[in-house]
Amino acid sequence: FTSLLLMNFFSAGNIPPGVNQEAYQWFQTVDTDHSGFINVKELKQALVNSNWSSFNDETCLMMINMFDKTRSGRMDLFGFSALWEFMQRWRALFQHYDRDRSGCISGTELQQALAQMGYNLSPQFSETLVRRFSVPGSRPGIQLDRFIQVCTQLQTMTQVFRERDTAMTGNIRINYEDFLSGVIFSVFNALP
Amino acid sequence: MAYHSPYKAPPHINAPPDQGFLWNIFQRVDKDRSGVISDSELQQALSNGTWTPFNPVTVRSIISMFDRENKGGVNFNEFAGVWKYITDWQNIFRTYDRDNSGFIDKNELRQALTGFGYRLSDQFYGTLIDKFDRQRKGQVAFDDFIQCCIVLQRLTDVFRRYDTDQDGWIQVSYEQYLSMVFNIV
Repeated sequence: FTSLLLMNFFSAGNIPPGVNQEAYQWFQTVDTDHSGFINVKELKQALVNSNWSSFNDETCLMMINMFDKTRSGRMDLFGFSALWEFMQRWRALFQHYDRDRSGCISGTELQQALAQMGYNLSPQFSETLVRRFSVPGSRPGIQLDRFIQVCTQLQTMTQVFRERDTAMTGNIRINYEDFLSGVIFSVFNALP
Repeated sequence: MAYHSPYKAPPHINAPPDQGFLWNIFQRVDKDRSGVISDSELQQALSNGTWTPFNPVTVRSIISMFDRENKGGVNFNEFAGVWKYITDWQNIFRTYDRDNSGFIDKNELRQALTGFGYRLSDQFYGTLIDKFDRQRKGQVAFDDFIQCCIVLQRLTDVFRRYDTDQDGWIQVSYEQYLSMVFNIV
């Protein structure tokens, strides 16, 4: 009932408070089945990397997870608007750190990006990440979708580490199941 | 809870199918006749027992296991491995789906993972179902079950590499911890 009311409200051309105007317009385009919600398939069709490949499933799932407050596997207009702003920030960061304007982030560029974001990690770590998240069959480099995925997961996993590193020594002692839980609970989210 | 015996790969139940049979399947799945089966070609060919698309993340996991040259797909030789891998999982799934519902519930998941050698707390099985159940049924379908087992296996492997004295505890630095996580996710 509420969503019906909202639909009528929207079709009158009113943008609800808290919703970005561009996000509102984009929502109408992306919501191809006009359900009033964006599912992972619609999101995947809407998002492209700089080489025109569509976003990978994991990143789309991750972002829906982050902005789907209803846990229904899809986003309403409000969630989508928040995602839109999130995407704008990451797109700007990506362009900023892609110093040679190649359309992807190299190991060196990732190292600089992570250092500027405040992470104290070795150059080898960035190189490993780039190798791990490069598109199969193409030259090494991270596209926007993987950049968002990697940075978001770094944030989450740093948080998980900190919660266990109460003495702030930079080292943790962790048991098997706690290790599994920390990763699975924070990173893996299954969605339709 | 501590972990005891290591994870074992699914037992090899099936006799290998003959090449003609596999070639026939390969050609049907390789829709664009490129000689390589891509993620989307494999996804379309697989069924999770419901009318929903096969978990694309599971498809990616499986392909990456057998794709030796990192070409984003599998050729005919590699496909034999994919086929065997999936049919082995199918048999395991059927074994543990005792009520033949097409889904593995928490109890069945506990029995399956215990059978593989995992020793995990009751609460943890709940977390697994919650995280891998894409259909929001409180139980996991075939594709999500495979993905759950793959993730557990990878995490267990990486943990064991650090747990040299095998007491179920490890001590790791921040970067080691992140490396462990990112090598598998």
